[in-house]
Parts: sequence; C-alpha cells; structure tokens
Amino acid sequence: MPLTAVIEARGLSKVFHTTVRRPGFAGALRSLVSPERVAKVAVQDVDFRVGRGELLALLGPNGAGKSTTIKMLTGILTPTSGEAVVAGVVPHRDRERNAHNIGAVFGQRTQLWWDLPARESFSILRDIYGVPEDQYRARIDEFDGLLELSEFWDTRVRHLSLGQRVRCDLAASLLHDPPVVFLDEPTIGMDVVVKEQVRRFLRHQVEERDRTVLLTTHDMTEVARLAERVVLINHGRIVLDGPLQEIRRRFGGTWQVRATLADPADVEEIERIEQRGEPALLPGTTGIGVLRREGPRVVFGPVGDDAPTVHEALKAVIARFQVTDLALEENDLEDVMRAAYLSDVPAQGATEEFAVQAASQGG
Amino acid sequence: MTTRTTMTAFLHSWRVAWRITRLNFKARLEYRGEFLLGIATGAIWQVSIIVFASVLLTRFPGLGGWSSTDVLLIASMRMLAHGLYVLFLGRVQYMNILVQEGIVDPCLIRPMPVYRQIQLNFFPVNAIGDLVVAVGLFVAALQRSSLDWTAGRIAYVVAGVIGGMLVEAALFTALAAAAFHFPATSYWSQWLEELMGTFGSYPLSILPKAVSAAFTFVVPLAFIAYFPAGVLTGHGGDMGVPEALAVASPLIGLAAFVLSRLLWNWSLGKYTGVNG
Amino acid sequence: MTANTASTMTLLSRGRHIASITPRGELLAPPRMTATALRLLVQVCLVVYLWRGLYAHTDSSAGLDETQAVTYAVLAVLANRIRGLDRRAGRDTVIQHLHFGTIVYWYLRPMSPRRYYALRALGDQLYGFGWVLAGYALSLAVGIVVPPSSYEVAAVFAVSMLLGQLVLYYVMMLVDLLCFWTLRNESALLILVFAQNLLSGVYAPLWYFPDWFITLSAFLPFQATLGVPLSIYVGRIGVDDAFVQMAVQGVWIVLLALFTRWLWDRAGRRVVAQGG
Repeated sequence: MPLTAVIEARGLSKVFHTTVRRPGFAGALRSLVSPERVAKVAVQDVDFRVGRGELLALLGPNGAGKSTTIKMLTGILTPTSGEAVVAGVVPHRDRERNAHNIGAVFGQRTQLWWDLPARESFSILRDIYGVPEDQYRARIDEFDGLLELSEFWDTRVRHLSLGQRVRCDLAASLLHDPPVVFLDEPTIGMDVVVKEQVRRFLRHQVEERDRTVLLTTHDMTEVARLAERVVLINHGRIVLDGPLQEIRRRFGGTWQVRATLADPADVEEIERIEQRGEPALLPGTTGIGVLRREGPRVVFGPVGDDAPTVHEALKAVIARFQVTDLALEENDLEDVMRAAYLSDVPAQGATEEFAVQAASQGG
Repeated sequence: MTTRTTMTAFLHSWRVAWRITRLNFKARLEYRGEFLLGIATGAIWQVSIIVFASVLLTRFPGLGGWSSTDVLLIASMRMLAHGLYVLFLGRVQYMNILVQEGIVDPCLIRPMPVYRQIQLNFFPVNAIGDLVVAVGLFVAALQRSSLDWTAGRIAYVVAGVIGGMLVEAALFTALAAAAFHFPATSYWSQWLEELMGTFGSYPLSILPKAVSAAFTFVVPLAFIAYFPAGVLTGHGGDMGVPEALAVASPLIGLAAFVLSRLLWNWSLGKYTGVNG
Repeated sequence: MTANTASTMTLLSRGRHIASITPRGELLAPPRMTATALRLLVQVCLVVYLWRGLYAHTDSSAGLDETQAVTYAVLAVLANRIRGLDRRAGRDTVIQHLHFGTIVYWYLRPMSPRRYYALRALGDQLYGFGWVLAGYALSLAVGIVVPPSSYEVAAVFAVSMLLGQLVLYYVMMLVDLLCFWTLRNESALLILVFAQNLLSGVYAPLWYFPDWFITLSAFLPFQATLGVPLSIYVGRIGVDDAFVQMAVQGVWIVLLALFTRWLWDRAGRRVVAQGG
C-alpha cells in the first residue's frame, strides 16, 4: 500500500432514520397521525485507504452501501460515526476546501445546465471554481482530445445522448484539476465504444495526471481493465479489500489447467499420486490437485482454501512438467462476483450481531 | 353473449381502475406532510379565486347587468367543475412531466388505454381541498338563489357542471397532445389555469365583444360555467351568442372532450419516445 | 491558491456567467421568447379590457379611478413578468434538482448554494427587467399607462420597486426552500405562487379587497412586493406616506433575509443528513 493515503475512511458508519408505514389501508391512515420511526444502518465500520495515483473500484450489490460511502467521502453526507479524510481535509467539515480537491460524477445525474450548450456549462463551472483562463483552455483541449467533446459540445445538453452527456460530465468534474475523483457508476447505459473511450480517459487521468480515483460500477470488464485494487462491500460492511485476484481466490475462483505431458516419467508420477487416494495433491505445491487423467492428458484444479490463482497454478505446472499442449479455463468474473454477492460471510463474521444492533436501534 | 362479455370486460376495467386509485391514495398517505399540504393548497387555490371574484362583486355592483347571487352561481359552478376535473381528469396537465420522465413509454406496452393510465398515475390530493371549498360555495350559492329549483333545473345544473368539467379537461387534453412533442407546454397550461381562474368566474359580458368571443370560440372557457349559469338565471339572450348555443353547453363540453381525445390519440400515434 | 484565484477574479466576473444562465437559455430557444411576448401582450390587453369594463358604470372605487386602475393593472402584469420565467423547462428549479437528485452538485462546489441561488436570481431579474422596460415603453406610447405625476413620485417609486423586488426575491426563495422539506408537488407550488400573487396585489389592487383581507395583508410581506410600489406610482399612496411603507419594506427585507439564511443552513444540514 502506498505511504500517502489520499482517501482515508476510518470506521465510517451511517445510520438513516426513516418512517415505516403500517400495513393495510387503516394502517396507512394511522401512520398519517403517528408515524413510526426506525433506524437503518446503511454503512457500518468501513475502513480503507486509497493512495495517490491509485484507482480503487468499490464493488457490491445494489443497496450495499457504496453510494452512501461515496457521499460521505465527498462531504454530502455527514457520517454518523467514524471519520473520512480526503486530501487532508475532512469533507463535511470543510466543504469549500474539499470542493477544490474533488471532482464527482453521479451516474446519470448531470451537473450540466440543461438548456445551454455543454461548453457554456464548462465556462460557468470555470467561474464557480475560479480556474485561471490559460489552465482552463489547456484542460478543455486535453479533454477534447481524449473524449472528442468538440463534436457535440455546442449542442444543448437536453439534446445530447447519454454517452455524450456523461463524457461532458466527466470533463466538467475535472475542470478544476482535482487530485481526487469520485465516480458513481459513470459508464452505466453506455455503448461499448464509448465505454472503452471513457476507460482510456480514466486510465490517462490516473497514470498521467496522478489522480486518485474511487469508482463504483457493476461492469466487471471495467473492473478488470481499470482497477488494481477492489473493495467489496456488502450489507454495509467491507467484505474484502485487495487485488481482483483475491476475490477470485475467495469466492469460487474455480479453474482448470489442462495439460498434455510430454515426459512419460511425469505421467507415471501423476499415476502414483492418484493411487495415494483423494485428494490427489501435487507434491511441492499448495492447493493444486489432479482432477482427472486420460493417458498423458491431465486436468489440474484447485483444492482446499489456500488454492492458488489460475496464473500461479499455470506457472507451477509449466515449471514442473514438460508439456506439449496447454489450456486453461477460468470462471467468468461475473460468476465470481455473483458468488461473492450471494455469500453471507462478512469479514468479521458478525452478521447476527449486526442484525440485532439494527433492530435495537429501531426502537 | 357479446353484450355480456363486453359488460364483464367493462366492469373488470373499472374494478382495476378503482383498485389502482386506492393504491395511489395510499401512496399519497405515505408522505403525511405533503398529503395535508396538498389538501390545503387545493383549498387555498379555490379561496383565492373566491376572494378575487368577491372583490369584483362588491366593488363593482351590477357587474355587466348581473346580480351578485347570479355571479355567485357562475363562480360556484366553475369551481365545482374544476374540482371534479382535478379529481377525475386532472393528470393530463402533468403530461409534459410524465413524458420527460419517460413514464409514458412503459404505458404504451401495457394492456390498458394510455389515457386512462395517465389519469391513474397518481392520486390528486389537492382535489380534496378543491372540492371541499367548491361544495361549500355551491351550497351557499344555491341557498342565496331565488330560483325555483325544479327537476329540470337541477338536471341542467348537474349537466352543466359535468359539461364544465369536460370543457376544462378538453382544453388541457389538447395541450397535453402537444406535450408529446414539445416539453415546454407547462408554460401554457399554467397560463390557461390562470386565465380560467381569473376570467372564468364572472360574466364575460363586461368585456368587449371581441374578447368574450375569444373566450367562447378560441379558449372556450365561457362554456365552463358562464353560459350554463346564464341560462339558469335567465340571462340566456344577452350573452352575446345565440341562446341555443348557450343552452347546449353541456353537449358542447362533451363534444369538445371527444374531439380533444381524438387529437390526443392522433398525437400519441405520432409519439416517438424520449431520448434519455 | 484559493486566495490567489479569488483576487484575480472578482465576484462580479465570476458571477457573470452564472447570472446569464437563464437569458442564454432563453435566447437559444426563440419559440420561448415568442411565447413570452405573445402571452405578455394578450395578458396586458385582457386586463385593460377587464378594468375598463368594470369601470364602465363607476367613476371611482376604493379611491382609484379608471386611469389609475388600468395603469396599476398593466404595470402589475409587466412587473410580474420579471420573475415569470420558465426555469422549469431548463430543469433548473429547486424542486427539480431535488427530484432528480442533482441538488448534490450544489453542495459539491466551492460556492455556497445560497450565493449561487442569489447570482442566478440576479440574472433572472435583470433579464426580466429588459422585458418590463420594453413593455412599459410600449404601453406608455399607446397610452394605456400614464407616466408618474412628478419626478419625485417617479424617484420614490423606483426605490420602492427595488425594495419590493428584494422582498419578492426572499419570498420566492422561501417557497423554494420549502421544497427541501415537504413540497415535492409541482401543483402545490403553482398554487402557492397564485396565492402569493393575489396577496401581492398582482391580480387586483388590495384597495378593493374587504377590510379583513387588508388587515391580514398588513401582517404579511406580500403587499410589500408589488402592491406598495405600484400604489405609489399611481398616486394611491402619497409621497409622504410612502416613506413609512418603504420602512416596512426594509423591515421585511431584514426579517426575511435572516429567516432564509437560517433555512439555507437547515436545508444544508438536511441534505447532509439524507444525502440529497
């Protein structure tokens, strides 16, 4: 992990108070007179740090607490407890200073002025953020080069397509050169070509401009292409924080390596391993087992909790055996994520305690 | 056999409409501040109009040769018609918003007439306030009036109020037909509502001929309450139009509504959807 | 860095673009401009006919003669135009920002929502003022409006009008701020605006209203927006009394400024508690 954390969340929690309605028609009338209030824990004890020039993807199913977390980090929401520090500023406490440090795009909500051409929205934002003219021009040129904005920036925003509008929104959020960028599902509903363009743009911003980006998305290809690191959040808690491979490892990262062995001696060795009985572990490795064998054709797969990733297994197999043919199969990332979302195992294994707490706060 | 099936289908569709209305009503109860405020705003709207009309009545007696009880009948009939319009057909006024928010698109693929789906989009809480004030004023107007309330007159008042509701619905439905293609119709519907509030509640005979003709044939708000109330109170001949036309107000209301619905359907046929 | 940019750009130049958002939007939509001109023209004609009709059998009512009443009514229509802008079409009303969730961006910028709101309003007012001046010049030329009786009256009117616009600005801000709590209903908003117009004396000078209504108005800020300046213009309030009325306007400005400031604060905290 980099030394300087640009985004830091320490024990962030958010509890919303809402009114619930009693069932039935009479219940609805009764709630009109005396509403019943309950507390709902949206985010609990979220801890993570993002370094300078790092892109972190915040993943999780709908309603897991991703947006709430982003809103607390941007300063729109005040945390119920815990602390957020973004570029050295506590966002909700020092809103104006924080505003200069961050840029944000919230999915399909546009910050552009509906009735004006997108370019005029840029100049309004230039004034609001007090961006010097020369820097403004330079940045507009840069963004135009990457996102091809000039094709449509003289069109009124109401007539832009979704992809065009979000591209303008991205540019708008970066006009004041913020070191930190928050993107809440920026590519939702875009076609593949535009998506790719936006990804290139984001990578450029991270790699060339050294910006720190926190991104939420449901697009796994995007995660695979962009994120070095992911934080998986579910039921308001962090389930996992690490590289994408870590998720594969934890949540049904099943894979198969099919190899045709060239050396008969190796085949005999495998045969001996098989005769030792289940599980047929490959000696000298951890978690690589022999699943099937047909003559020299062997299928390796993961065994046990600390099985390696498919790439590590591949390396191990090549290092050990001479092979004439090699193929690998891996679970689709989406399948892995499905398993991760559905898995009911929070990080600290405290599901029940969490539920009880939520209920007691509801009193 | 066919009559029986059409009958069941008819009853079924009304049951569905009723069920949706109940759900809509419950949905509005969810936000209690807004619910109570909705009723209040309906009442405020009507009271504002009463105050305005009463100002003209008390300050300028003999308004266009009408006694104040007669003018009160115009005002109360218009208000009742307006309240009923808001309750039953008022959602057309929100067409531009519904179109912009993409609510119309899913309506196109559901097995219920789109117009009815629009009307069932939400429950108009302010109609409650509207109607409470309107009924109060209407009762007051009936008590003051020296007319002999024969069965025929009662029937005509009922027909007049329903006709008035249909005229108002026709005007807003015609505007809503434009809302499929132009987003800025709210500007015009706001103006229309204001015009009806300020010019619909008293005799148009105080205005020059050209203007009252415009309110008869261009923006036909004369048919909402002025003509029917005039017929009832014996002003039939001096309203600037042939008496038969004034008497036919309820029918004209019906015809206008049917025409506006046809226009609306035609416009719906040309609807191409909204781009996000 | 922040101090540096703030010194290189004065607030005025920073605000210029924000203030010109509405005028730019309107200029880019010529049909909207045509609609505005048409509506203004028709509305002016209607009030002229209405008040001439009302005064057909009366010389003077509530201390106003026909010329005064017509002048008042035309000026009221024009002045109301200053803020009768259609920001809704531009999806830029507070209620819409709350509805679409775009209000969050107001709280993510290094300019407080209150200041942004003020700059937008200033631009709207200046733009609307252009329309008013054009309408006023035209009305003077065709003789439906008489000029103020003396330079003194004109000067006092100008000051009072400015104060009135400030009061109006705060009253409208109050309605917008209400949206943060309960008002998610567009029609409720329209009705409140109508009631506010009525109480301001837009539809009819408050002099005509019953005593209880005038007493009620004295305790509310609405008549300070238009009723007072226009009454000064037509001479219904003499120059000597005008200063007392202007002092009252000043008191309202201070009270409303403090109250709305407090509400902005609360609204901000509400957004912060619920996330917009």
